[in-house]
Amino acid sequence: MIVLDAVSKWYPSGLRPALSDVSAEIAAGEFVFLVGPSGSGKSTLLRLLLREERASGGQVVVAGQDVARIPDRRVPRLRRTVGCVFQDYRLLPNRTVAANVAFALDVIGRPRHVVRSVVPEALDLVGLGEKAQSYPDELSGGEQQRVAIARAFVGRPRVLLADEPTGNLDPATSIEIMHLLDAVHQAGTTVIMATHNAALVDAMRRRVLELADGILVRDEAGGRYDTASLPLPPQPAPQPAPQPSPWAPAPRGPVG
Amino acid sequence: MRPGPLASLWWTGLRRNLAMTAAVIVTIAICLAMLGAGLLLRAQVHTIDHYLLGQLEVVVDLTDDTTSAQRAALEDQMRRDPAITAVRYESKQQVFDRFRRDFRGSPDVVAGVGPGDLPAALRLTLADPRASGDVVITYTGLDGVEAVRDQRALLQPLYRFLDAFTIGAFTLAAVQAVASFALIYTMIRISAYGRRRETAIMRLVGASNGAIRAPFVLESAVAGVVGGLCAAGLLVAAKAFLVDGQFTRQSAFPLFGWPAVWTSAAAVLVAGLLASAAMASVALRRHLRV
Repeated sequence: MIVLDAVSKWYPSGLRPALSDVSAEIAAGEFVFLVGPSGSGKSTLLRLLLREERASGGQVVVAGQDVARIPDRRVPRLRRTVGCVFQDYRLLPNRTVAANVAFALDVIGRPRHVVRSVVPEALDLVGLGEKAQSYPDELSGGEQQRVAIARAFVGRPRVLLADEPTGNLDPATSIEIMHLLDAVHQAGTTVIMATHNAALVDAMRRRVLELADGILVRDEAGGRYDTASLPLPPQPAPQPAPQPSPWAPAPRGPVG
Repeated sequence: MRPGPLASLWWTGLRRNLAMTAAVIVTIAICLAMLGAGLLLRAQVHTIDHYLLGQLEVVVDLTDDTTSAQRAALEDQMRRDPAITAVRYESKQQVFDRFRRDFRGSPDVVAGVGPGDLPAALRLTLADPRASGDVVITYTGLDGVEAVRDQRALLQPLYRFLDAFTIGAFTLAAVQAVASFALIYTMIRISAYGRRRETAIMRLVGASNGAIRAPFVLESAVAGVVGGLCAAGLLVAAKAFLVDGQFTRQSAFPLFGWPAVWTSAAAVLVAGLLASAAMASVALRRHLRV
């Protein structure tokens, strides 16, 4: 699904590369944690996948497309195959929960009857069906992040990027959000989650990519947040409840 | 994007940005009203032209000692001249009669002129009265010709007057157009800032560049159309109250009719719509990264 081949990124003002010779391959349906200290290049990597930035060297392939080579007018199509969730939710404060989710479909020109049927579905899946008419500032942080996940997923992307989605949340709420992302993953979506939440990474035991100073220093299946410096508290892993897959991507493939 | 969501984006943008939009509308309205006024003045020039050209002649005054052979030669040359469609001879008595008729409103002038004082003349009707200059040059100074008078030259002050107003109106329109562009440029910048969250999310979820730009262009185009409607209303009011109300009593020449007003109003509306949308597109290049 995603191939990084010797990817480097220099920012014009940077003294050292934000990413240096990063190579990795992420298969369709994988769940990957992206870890590393602030400034290690996690966000840069996610921005490259979205074509917010272009790599200075190497090749980035997302869903079979060489990201640097697609023409500008095709970039929107790439972004429809990649959903995004952020630490700060990025909801529109003057729109209701339902309108925030519907917005993502409206602006890519989906017909109204589709929007009307898909939006309540998505809100039910994140457990916010009853708050559809609330405004974001009436919700807790965890609920706002659920809305953001519903918005990212309502277009059924093949890849979901989450940039520190639990960064503003308390541990209990973080676990709820983690379960939600795991459910998205169980439905077949490739999920890449950049995080500083060691407890979640250690509990989930998924593939871990660790960046340090722009260099990929670790690519470990079933890894922990940091084997070297963090003592691991013994705790049972919170297992995600097995769900039927209402999240399953639409059979027609990427929305386009 | 469907019309509904687009309209909702436009509406929230308008509420956020009402004062700026009002300023843009007023400026565009003045700009387009000036443009329309210039078009109407041109219509007036054409109306006068059309009305008078059929009546305008070139008059060739003959010297008192012109022989009949010289006159025959002149008339012969004129009849062969393709620029001239008709030649008519008026004797000194006929010229005097016409003079008395034309100046019947000024008895003092008529009293001072006798039947022998005015020269006999050949009156020429031209194929194209606008091309009278060549005819004047051709016949001036020929044997038996005292002077060649182009009646159209008498109208030059009127034409200069109308032309000056036309140029003035178009100049004002151009100045206002520059002001409109500056305002639209600023409106787009403020609007892009006010809508930055929406824009960021649209980019993120894969809205096309056209969909991201559409609300801005719509915002500006609506302002252009409203400004155009105001300008069209001003033109109609000017025709109804100023032209028809104040100037109809003079009978020297006819005034432009309603068709000219409708044509100008339509031109002004279309110009408002297209120019404001185009200005917005230019401003967007600067203020919106897609």
